[in-house]
Amino acid sequence: MKGELAAGPPRLEPPDSEVRQRIRQQRLRRFKMNIPLLLMFLPVILFYLIFRYAPIGGLVIAFKDYNFYDGLWNSPWVGFQHFQTLFSDPRTVEIIRNTLFLSLLSIIVGFPIPIILAIMLNEVRNMAFKRTVQTVVYMPHFFSWVIIAMMIMTVFSLENGIVNRWVEAWTGEPYPFMYNKGSWIAVFVGSGIWKDMGFNAIIFLAALTTIDPSQYEAAQMDGASKMRQIWHVTLPGIRSTIILLLILSMGRVMEVGFDQVYMLQNSNVNEVADVISTYIYRTGLQGAQFSLTTAMGLFESLVAFILIYCANYIARRFNEGLW
Amino acid sequence: MRKTRGEQVFYMINYVLLTLVAISCILPLLNIVALSLSDARAVVSGKVGLWPVDFTWFSYHSLLTGTPILNAFWNSVEITLIGTGLSMAVTIMAAYPLSRRHFYHRRFFTMAMVFTMIFNGGLIPTYLVVQNLGLVNSYGALWLPGLVSTYNMLIMRSYFENLPGEVDEAARIDGCGELGLLFRIVLPLSKPLLATIALFYGVGYWNSFMSVMIYINDTSKYNMTVLVQNMIMSNLNVQDFTDPTMISNLTPEGIRAAAVIVMVIPILAVYPFLQKYFVKGVMLGSIKG
Repeated sequence: MKGELAAGPPRLEPPDSEVRQRIRQQRLRRFKMNIPLLLMFLPVILFYLIFRYAPIGGLVIAFKDYNFYDGLWNSPWVGFQHFQTLFSDPRTVEIIRNTLFLSLLSIIVGFPIPIILAIMLNEVRNMAFKRTVQTVVYMPHFFSWVIIAMMIMTVFSLENGIVNRWVEAWTGEPYPFMYNKGSWIAVFVGSGIWKDMGFNAIIFLAALTTIDPSQYEAAQMDGASKMRQIWHVTLPGIRSTIILLLILSMGRVMEVGFDQVYMLQNSNVNEVADVISTYIYRTGLQGAQFSLTTAMGLFESLVAFILIYCANYIARRFNEGLW
Repeated sequence: MRKTRGEQVFYMINYVLLTLVAISCILPLLNIVALSLSDARAVVSGKVGLWPVDFTWFSYHSLLTGTPILNAFWNSVEITLIGTGLSMAVTIMAAYPLSRRHFYHRRFFTMAMVFTMIFNGGLIPTYLVVQNLGLVNSYGALWLPGLVSTYNMLIMRSYFENLPGEVDEAARIDGCGELGLLFRIVLPLSKPLLATIALFYGVGYWNSFMSVMIYINDTSKYNMTVLVQNMIMSNLNVQDFTDPTMISNLTPEGIRAAAVIVMVIPILAVYPFLQKYFVKGVMLGSIKG
């Protein structure tokens, strides 16, 4: 290709100095156009430096014994002592395990549900029905966890919750949903899925609209049943969206949303309900153990970073990488 | 086209399941509405289902007169309006330059921002930064640390980039500067997207809980989420009110339900108008940028 271009008709090259001047003019023009943009961008740079990169720098206190008097710079170094404390204390190991367990369970159980919901909505032919269902299922996403927790505690309440009145009618006595470890985990995972399934389905619904309808017609001609069409046409059609969102959810494996767990937990289920975010809040902020909990935070961030990096690496093998 | 028997069954099951899902999303809310409008005795005895029993406004009356809910409501409004305004302004200030092809180091800046999405300093170092800036116990601590959501910024940037190029050229020939281009062309063309992102920020600020708990010590500065959470936690058990006359006069549960409804109403009020926008916005976000 390049050889062909070079072999084209000879062009009149302007003299060298003229080229240089034009380049200089272009540079000056570009610089002038950049001035308002740079001025506009300055606060953004400040924001990222102060509130995003300074805290990353502040992670050094994980290797120090931070105290108010000495401050960030003068506090003594302690090396990996805080990490040793974290990984040798059965209580913190349990907290890390709880975090992993709850988030992995939420991802494994919760990931397919928005996809299924989107496919179900996509198959609805009655537009009014579809729109009504969409309006209703997107709604919980916009409610704060205070509201959702209040609903859950009301619905599952031991004394007068609706659910326990049904349970009572069936078994004769109410079931303490919020106070048994197993059922608490079920309520926790279920409520997380319930809150966001509709909203998370939107992105899959968008992907579904890009599938060529003729593929369904062809499948129908071949006598494929509805289920087979979904399996062989719909799912492959939204494959890249599924992989992309799976990568993103990998980054959240170390993270159990503070609001949800803080509002749903109670002393009866602490053994399974205490997670990294509530630990950092309680021990770090309320107990003022800044260095120890920063070490925990650093551990959390690092694992999340490695997970999302690896997930992306694998996805790139399938040409679906995020970057 | 005629449907086969298998398809008929499929559609039937589909409609039934979707109806059940929709009902599961609406029933708890109806239950709370009913509780908030029912008489104390009916609430305590667990008679209230989806319809108020012995209809009364009493819970709302005690909520408004006996608790600082109104103050918290206005705090929430203040946090949400100013926060959303600030966030939108700075997000635009980030997204617009990055969408311009001739902007210096745009790749470097974008990468540096994306990096903060996958690796961050975490709660304690951020708290120390906010504390050193003297922002503790002021709303600045709620607005500044989360001022720009990188995710929203990226969506906005790719939207600006994909605006038709001719408009840009025409504006340049008419002698519009970069700022003129932004205010006269880019922003007016991006209204649906701006509405979506403002909604996301707005809901985030309205529901903000953890940041208020961490940074705000003064109870008179609490927003509704934290106030209502305190109400829920501090009198979780009806049994705490051992005095029977107390129970008949005051049901914490009814008042809590009323507080939740007060918190939900503003969201429900704007929700129908914004639904079409956020659906569009999420779809825009799904375009890999």
